[in-house]
Amino acid sequence: MKITNLKKKYDGKTVVDSVSFTIPRGKVLSLIGPNGAGKSTVMGMISRLIARDAGDIHFEDKDLSHWNSKELAKKLAILTQHNNVQMKLTVRELVAFGRFPYSGSRLTAEDVRMIDKAIAYMELQEFEDRFIDELSGGQRQRAYIAMVIAQDTEYVLLDEPTNNLDIYHASNMMRTVRRLCDELGKTVILVLHEINYAAFYSDYICAFVDGKIAKFEKVEDVINKETLSEIYKVDFEIIHINGKPLSVYY
Amino acid sequence: MDSGILTRPATGSAGIARGERVKPYRTPAQKANVRNLIFLAVIVMVVCACYLLVNAYPDKPQLFRYVLSLRIPTLAVMLIAAFAIGGASIIFQSIINNRIVTPCLLGMNSMYTLVHTAVVFVVGSGSIVATNSNVSFAVDLVVMGIAATFVYSYLFRKTGNNVLYVLLIGTVLSSFFGSIQSTMIRVMDPNEYDTLLTTLVADFNNVNSEVILFSLLLIAALVIFLRKELQLLDVITLGKDQAVNLGVDYDRTVRRLMLGVVLCIAVATAMVGPISFLGLIIANLARQLLRTHKHSHLILGAALMGMLAIIAGQLISQHVFSYAVPISTFITIGGGIYFLYLLLFKKGGI
Repeated sequence: MKITNLKKKYDGKTVVDSVSFTIPRGKVLSLIGPNGAGKSTVMGMISRLIARDAGDIHFEDKDLSHWNSKELAKKLAILTQHNNVQMKLTVRELVAFGRFPYSGSRLTAEDVRMIDKAIAYMELQEFEDRFIDELSGGQRQRAYIAMVIAQDTEYVLLDEPTNNLDIYHASNMMRTVRRLCDELGKTVILVLHEINYAAFYSDYICAFVDGKIAKFEKVEDVINKETLSEIYKVDFEIIHINGKPLSVYY
Repeated sequence: MDSGILTRPATGSAGIARGERVKPYRTPAQKANVRNLIFLAVIVMVVCACYLLVNAYPDKPQLFRYVLSLRIPTLAVMLIAAFAIGGASIIFQSIINNRIVTPCLLGMNSMYTLVHTAVVFVVGSGSIVATNSNVSFAVDLVVMGIAATFVYSYLFRKTGNNVLYVLLIGTVLSSFFGSIQSTMIRVMDPNEYDTLLTTLVADFNNVNSEVILFSLLLIAALVIFLRKELQLLDVITLGKDQAVNLGVDYDRTVRRLMLGVVLCIAVATAMVGPISFLGLIIANLARQLLRTHKHSHLILGAALMGMLAIIAGQLISQHVFSYAVPISTFITIGGGIYFLYLLLFKKGGI
């Protein structure tokens, strides 16, 4: 996926300005940056949730806007933070929605197998008949990830997947992200606030400041004192654990 | 973990063996729902039979036939109105993602009241527009249908498909129509007002068979016109982001569904009067009975609940109170109490 000169304005205020980058296939890419830097907006535009004002998003052989929405749903899945379901929906029914782009609401044997796999992959078997609104935040997030897995797309976009999760569930979530990439061969793009999760679990980091890309490099080239201080305007110390750079800030 | 099936080359998605349909997976709760629906349908049939046969003098054939000729059209009206209101309410709640809203909030009831008051105010209660029920139905339907279609489509475009804005504007419009109407009433001849008042209360009697047939056809046409969108309702319930993610044209679907809701309410209101408050009760009763997100079940459930409520109410109104208390009184009182119960004890949850 190749993004060129992406722009977005809200009420005359430019929130995303001339953003261009190419998403590396089969890797984990984290978008980081201060609040209001435009990373979620970029994510929204890549996933067609937000309309762009200008720029091209070239996906596979054509621009994103020329894709049939349903066909795109078989290639690219997005999970946002707004998942407030008011209806009575069981985990299994939610996961089954992942097959909607393929078979509508009538499931085939293939669909059922994919749903079973997704539920097993996220270890949700014992919850599968529970209602979504009766689950804890961590379990609910896992159910949504299972739905994305059932959707069986090459690209998976996650908007702040660790939001509202405690450390235990958040680090589990990040390990799942890594597995999606390493075991299932997916390209994962995340918006993250936790720099260290981004540093530890991703391959590439794209840092945004004021609607522009400040740095788009491999993890080691972004997570260093100078770059981070420049992006966040806070003092950083870098330590290394298991060969990965981690930042300390206060 | 065997991930062979989950991982698929990027080009492979077209290669799935299609066609082999499997029996839909049903959770235990869904099986119970099917049972509940059948049970509800049986009760509705029993109540229908009661309505037709209680005090119908089956021993006197001529009288019996006359009673039936009066009751069958009324029964048809009740069934159609219940289906229209139940379906519209469920769809409306699912779009807004809130179960204590009703299409009432769009201001259709006040629009109906205003149209009727305006007719009596301008041409008088003796005019054919007010006395002939076919003509008055046509006027209601055309005015409400056109006004609602125009107003709500325009509002949707103007607000960028923001349903909550439309709801807010609907509430304001509702008071606006109400104020115009009360101004007219103040300067109206008291005798005219008396005649007017009877048409402002929901009433299932005295509906012409032409009107019944036309309403039935219109609702059937709406269902056919919106069949694709109705199938998408389950996905719409997941919210805009998820619906778009799964490849649904959310804005277009919601716009068309809203049009369907408005027209359904217009038909029901033109046919029997302002009654859409009933939708709040029956939609919630259906959601309470059928703990599911499947709209095919929910719409059917709400329609059946509506039939049960209206026919039972009519039975009581007819045989216990001998028409002294109109059915809308029961609906308003019952609905009000149930609404308070929902607010106080259910905390908006389901």
